[in-house]
Amino acid sequence: MIKFFSDIYTASVTIMGGMLITLKHLFNAKNGIATLQYPEERWPRPERNIGFDLGSYNVIRSRLHVDMDDCIGCLKCERACPVDCIKIETAKAPERGEDIKDVKHVGVTTNGTRKAMVVTRFDIDMTECCYCNLCTYPCPEECIFMTGGPNSKKHPIDYEFSESNRSDLIYRFAKPGTKEGMDKLLEDGESVGA
Amino acid sequence: MTVDYIFDSLNQLLPELAGSSLFLIISMLLPIALLLGFITIYGFGVIYSEIKVSSFIQDKTGPMGQGPGLHAGKWGLLQPVADGLKLFIKEDIIPASADRPLFILAPFLIFIGALTSFIAVPFGEKIIITDMNIGIFYIVGMGSLAVIALILAGWSSNNKWALYGGMRSAAQIISYEIPAGISLVAVIMIASSLSMQEIIAYQSGGITNWIIFDNPFMPIVFIIFFISTLAETNRTPFDLPESESELVAGFVTEYSGTRYAIFFLSEYANMFVVSAVSATAFFGGWQSPVDGFLDSPAWSVFWMISKTFFLVFVMIWIRWTVPRLRVDQLMHMCWKVFIPIGLFNVFGVAIWTILRG
Repeated sequence: MIKFFSDIYTASVTIMGGMLITLKHLFNAKNGIATLQYPEERWPRPERNIGFDLGSYNVIRSRLHVDMDDCIGCLKCERACPVDCIKIETAKAPERGEDIKDVKHVGVTTNGTRKAMVVTRFDIDMTECCYCNLCTYPCPEECIFMTGGPNSKKHPIDYEFSESNRSDLIYRFAKPGTKEGMDKLLEDGESVGA
Repeated sequence: MTVDYIFDSLNQLLPELAGSSLFLIISMLLPIALLLGFITIYGFGVIYSEIKVSSFIQDKTGPMGQGPGLHAGKWGLLQPVADGLKLFIKEDIIPASADRPLFILAPFLIFIGALTSFIAVPFGEKIIITDMNIGIFYIVGMGSLAVIALILAGWSSNNKWALYGGMRSAAQIISYEIPAGISLVAVIMIASSLSMQEIIAYQSGGITNWIIFDNPFMPIVFIIFFISTLAETNRTPFDLPESESELVAGFVTEYSGTRYAIFFLSEYANMFVVSAVSATAFFGGWQSPVDGFLDSPAWSVFWMISKTFFLVFVMIWIRWTVPRLRVDQLMHMCWKVFIPIGLFNVFGVAIWTILRG
């Protein structure tokens, strides 16, 4: 009999306590919201140090980007990639350091290197990329990099790169040239190579 | 009451057609149309408040769109409309092995139970469709009609989860009818009438005359009645018939589209009806809490709806606080806790009423 009433008492007290907690959350809704209105609001960019020099080297590996005007087609990044997600095709340029308008080829890099190769294809498959950053170190022209890294001023961080189509995640950096220009370039390249 | 009023007004408006059966049909259909409109609007309101209250309790914001279109309106106000539209344009599937006529009948039956209960709900001194002299008894009876619909839905779906849900709902609703009825017996003894309007008339004259403050037993009676109505409407601490984690969706497992929407709407309509009975029986119905303060007919609708909505809000609040009971706990609570205490309350209220004279 005592247990009967003590059980009822416990049930009432615990339910009242629980309801008080939920009521507090209900009326504190203005301040206590834990979620964000995602497309309008976003979490701030996370801070993280991975370098030896703490504080100065804030690297976020967000996504790979290539400045095609600087790329000399040396294939070092393709060889460095552990998952083979970079695919580069090159053709020999008719003359070093010469611009080719038809394929939007810039002859001289920002470092002053005169390019010997025309990059006709530079694809990065971001579905395979493992964000290891290994491709950025060998680059002699520093043209491939992770956005959000040291070059983040050029390219603001963007960690939301969902696409509705999977093939859209294969980033094609090589600028599409006209068909005649491409054909001419390939012919010339063969003739030069021979 | 309202039917007679509309009939008389139509007769006065067009005296040459006075007393025709056309007027009688119009005066009967008009309140039903108003009622359906009210249930729909109330449904949108209560679904929206359910979304928002649950979100705020869980530290979320709920739907917070920035305009019409994909984002469901300012503060998600159009979310219930979007939900309703979605349900109404969905494919209506009837399983091949289902008992077709019964499967189709069940949603109608549950909605009839919810709709007809509204007839005896008073919103004002004259604003009631029919003031039956057994109004409260009628509402309790119509509330029990839901059991048949739920068993029909569970059985005709030919699905083990649905059958379990139907059986549980039958056990639960029939059990909890008893404490709810016993609680109302105490109210009826005090008001000495079964008519909704007379129960409200007994409580006239401000908050101190409300039945819940009538004698020391009444708060306990109210709590028992309120928890029993939670169980009767299958709200969360007692939502065993449709417990998602055990029985996919219980008796509505096989229902989709419009039929599912009708089950959904009926649940919310039933919530309103049982809350209206609570408000009528314990909180003075459409009467203002202070005697003579804001008690015109329009304000009486306001008081009735605000009291009812407060109780509906408490139901939502409980839903997002208390976890679901087990079947044996449910039965234990009804038969071993509520019924003995309820009977004791009836006894105490009877003695109290006799002694007071």
